[in-house]
Amino acid sequence: MISLLQGMEGTQDMGGGMQMGRDLALLAPEIAVLLTAVGALVLEMLRLPRAALPFTVIGLLVATGLAIPLLGTETTLFMDTFRIDALSTWAKLVLLPVTALCAVLSYGEVKDTDREGTVYALLSLTALGALALAGAGDVMFLVLGVLLSSLGSFALVAYPRDDHSTEAAMKYLVFGSVTSAVMIFGLTFWFGATGSTLLAELVALEGAPLAAAAGLVAVLVGLGYKASVAPFHFWAPDAYDGAPVSVAAFLSIVPKVGAIFALAQVVRDLPQGAAGWPLVVAGLAALSMTYGNLAALVQENVVRLLAYSSIAQSGYFLLGVVAFGGSDLAVPSLVVFAAAYAAMNLGAFAIVVLVGRDLRDFVGLGRARPVAGAAMVVFLISLVGVPPLAGFIGKLLLFGAAIEAGFVWLAVVAILNSVLSLAVYLRVVVPMYGVPKEAPARSRTATVVWTIALVATVAVGLAAQVLLGSVA
Amino acid sequence: MTFPIVSVTLFLPLLGAALLLLMRGSPPRVAHGVGIAFSGLTLLGALWMWARGVPTGEVGFSQVEEIPWIPSIGAAYRVGVDGVSLPLVLMTAVLFFVSLVFSAHVRERAGSYVALFLLLETACLGSFVALDMILFYVFFEVTLVGMYFIIAGWGYEGRQRAALTFFLYTLLGSLPLLLAILALYLGSEPNTFDVREIVAAPPLTGLAAMLALIAMLVTFFVKTPLFPVHTWLPLAHTEAPTAGSVILAGVLLKLGTYGLVRFALQMTPDAFRAAAPYVAALAVFSALYGAFVALGQTDLKRLVAYTSVNHMGYVVLGVAVAAAATDAGTRALALDGAVLQMVSHGVVTGALFLLVGMLQDRAHTREMREFGGLLRLVPVLGWFFVLAAFASLGLPGLAHFAAEFQIFLGTLAVYPVAAVVVLGIAVTAGLYLRAIQVAFLGKPSEDRVGMKDLGRRELLAVVPLLVLTVLLGVAPFLVLETVHATTRVLLP
Repeated sequence: MISLLQGMEGTQDMGGGMQMGRDLALLAPEIAVLLTAVGALVLEMLRLPRAALPFTVIGLLVATGLAIPLLGTETTLFMDTFRIDALSTWAKLVLLPVTALCAVLSYGEVKDTDREGTVYALLSLTALGALALAGAGDVMFLVLGVLLSSLGSFALVAYPRDDHSTEAAMKYLVFGSVTSAVMIFGLTFWFGATGSTLLAELVALEGAPLAAAAGLVAVLVGLGYKASVAPFHFWAPDAYDGAPVSVAAFLSIVPKVGAIFALAQVVRDLPQGAAGWPLVVAGLAALSMTYGNLAALVQENVVRLLAYSSIAQSGYFLLGVVAFGGSDLAVPSLVVFAAAYAAMNLGAFAIVVLVGRDLRDFVGLGRARPVAGAAMVVFLISLVGVPPLAGFIGKLLLFGAAIEAGFVWLAVVAILNSVLSLAVYLRVVVPMYGVPKEAPARSRTATVVWTIALVATVAVGLAAQVLLGSVA
Repeated sequence: MTFPIVSVTLFLPLLGAALLLLMRGSPPRVAHGVGIAFSGLTLLGALWMWARGVPTGEVGFSQVEEIPWIPSIGAAYRVGVDGVSLPLVLMTAVLFFVSLVFSAHVRERAGSYVALFLLLETACLGSFVALDMILFYVFFEVTLVGMYFIIAGWGYEGRQRAALTFFLYTLLGSLPLLLAILALYLGSEPNTFDVREIVAAPPLTGLAAMLALIAMLVTFFVKTPLFPVHTWLPLAHTEAPTAGSVILAGVLLKLGTYGLVRFALQMTPDAFRAAAPYVAALAVFSALYGAFVALGQTDLKRLVAYTSVNHMGYVVLGVAVAAAATDAGTRALALDGAVLQMVSHGVVTGALFLLVGMLQDRAHTREMREFGGLLRLVPVLGWFFVLAAFASLGLPGLAHFAAEFQIFLGTLAVYPVAAVVVLGIAVTAGLYLRAIQVAFLGKPSEDRVGMKDLGRRELLAVVPLLVLTVLLGVAPFLVLETVHATTRVLLP
């Protein structure tokens, strides 16, 4: 399965390269990620799993470094099928470090198991799929991105090979296959109506409302599933809970941000209000936020709680997508919220790795391990959107974008949901300051990850200008 | 460049909190020492700001300090003061200092306790000096987080529920403000979060202004609190630790009324003028409601908490009168009264909560019927309470009198009917006299014999507030001079 995918991606790269040498240079970060994945697999085959993790981390960080010079570049590759713009570049700058940190986080859970190195390879490959989505300029890239990131994710969820994870992976696989099939089927309507697979040609949908609607539904189903937007979220809580916690952290961030950015790439080219897309997306946003938060309110398992919370956060992301077509804040808000979400969500999951999945495991954490406890509080109230943390500035921009685009009611729904989400996250915070049991075992890798996430959560909140300056 | 005293004062407490984080595990004595030292330095900084003062008769803010923060969206770190915020800054610094002095007996996790209070002090000061809407909102929300952990960590039996209610309720209350801020931002041209620019040229008109005003009123009414959104207050107060109550009533409630002036009145003046009769009516009702409910309380702390609803109702009435007033003299009069009332309430209620807390520390109850003859048992505590209670009911010569007098005078000029609110004074007088009669006069009950009078720490905490109570009563011009410099030119 994996070798097949490498083949697909490889052909893409070579096909483009033969047309334009420039394209390959602009694609350096993606190529570095691919080489990292391959290298990790090779090290695994050579029975050197210990080397696979440092290799992966260094490879992903090199790829991140290669993406930095792309900031401010706005261009397209391979005959307009792939975009280098603020969204796709920031997707690299955010998602690749997150992938590296997830690899570090997973080390504690998968070390000394069979095929340890494949985890790192699969993480890199899935991230590559997310990057393909974030820069998609063509429906084929949408399909490619969804498939690439899905196949890697299925395998990652199934990795522990116990009943729980196998069942989760099966659900995920069936759900993913069906939604992907629906997406591919529906997208043919767009191809039929415009005669092109390029997103830039979607303007031709003007005057073809049925075709526009059919394709829109297809894209929303396919990308909505990837981003775990309600009502396409059913796989997420089971998959997150069945998978290793580090994989759940990865799934909640990397494919989600990729899919949201892909949706943004699609709607920015749709004709003004075609098939009522802003309203449809706004409806999904409201549904996803409300459902996610309500469902999270009754969870006793912190991973499931965070899974539903991530469904709610997808709803917030959609505010930025709705604003395309009506606000200059759309792209900046998505970029800032993506960085914020990545930092705070990764941090929260890292603490779960440290403490345990059950809500009862959190009793007394704040007293037994005050610093880790305080970090968890920071991550959770940042998810609520309390200033001056990252989540606040992200939500501020999202609300501003939605209001400017004329969706005041959606901003109101989002704000009510913020209160609801506070009730959700306080369910974790309150027991943390109860009577302590014994302190959880220390984990160096988790500590490294949550420390970095903590710094990022505060830094994105205070220094959002660094991100905004490169976007606006 | 002059010395940036506003920023230094603002961040000194935060520095203290950071220091305490680095010194984790140090004994309580050290933690309290750090807390008192840093809040003392902050008080000196506030006094320095007070000495610099505000220029008379000039529109706008003084002592402004500004650094770019998020230039892409027009947000910056901007701080400064005017005659409305400067007295509140000084009051905040005083209340935090005495609260930390009073708290020096807290042994349980003292380091975290002091650090949270210092964090809260920076947040409160920041809300008053922020001249950027985002910066204001940041500080405004951080106060919620700080207070949540103080109630949840060091409160009484039902603290978890009280803290949760407080956090959810006031977060729900504060988020509409964010919408209003965004509306003002998107309405301004070029887009900015600069309070000075928005105040100088209110960007919204018509329906947009009215909606923004309504959103802001919701936020600030919850915070103030006004009937019918006051229900979080008694619960939070009964469960909060004593010093938490002092800060909650003394400082956090002022954020509501300060926001009412700075945001609602100054940023949507025309909409506020249109809504003024309704706001005034609600304020009158709330003030009377607070007084009558307080009359029904036998728990001393709840009693003081409900008189806060009464006193803050007067403040809102003053602001509404100022919004409706057509001549500058009446407007300045009502606003002078409103600001002075905020300061007086902070000082007097702070003292009352401290004294009730001292009673509770001794008797482990706040039920007034379980006391009796306290004036004989603990004369110093008793007479201090009597003094503070008389101030609270508006006795001439003590803090509240001048403020309430000016508010009522302004009200008579604009809404003569609203003068029924004076009834509230009669009711508060009745309830305090009853409390004094039941708990402080009469024969001491047997099991209370041997109760100790105030110690050194307690005297140090409460005496400054009582001195200020008398000072504000006999020489209100000390504050009013500063306030009036701004209020007479607050609205064009």
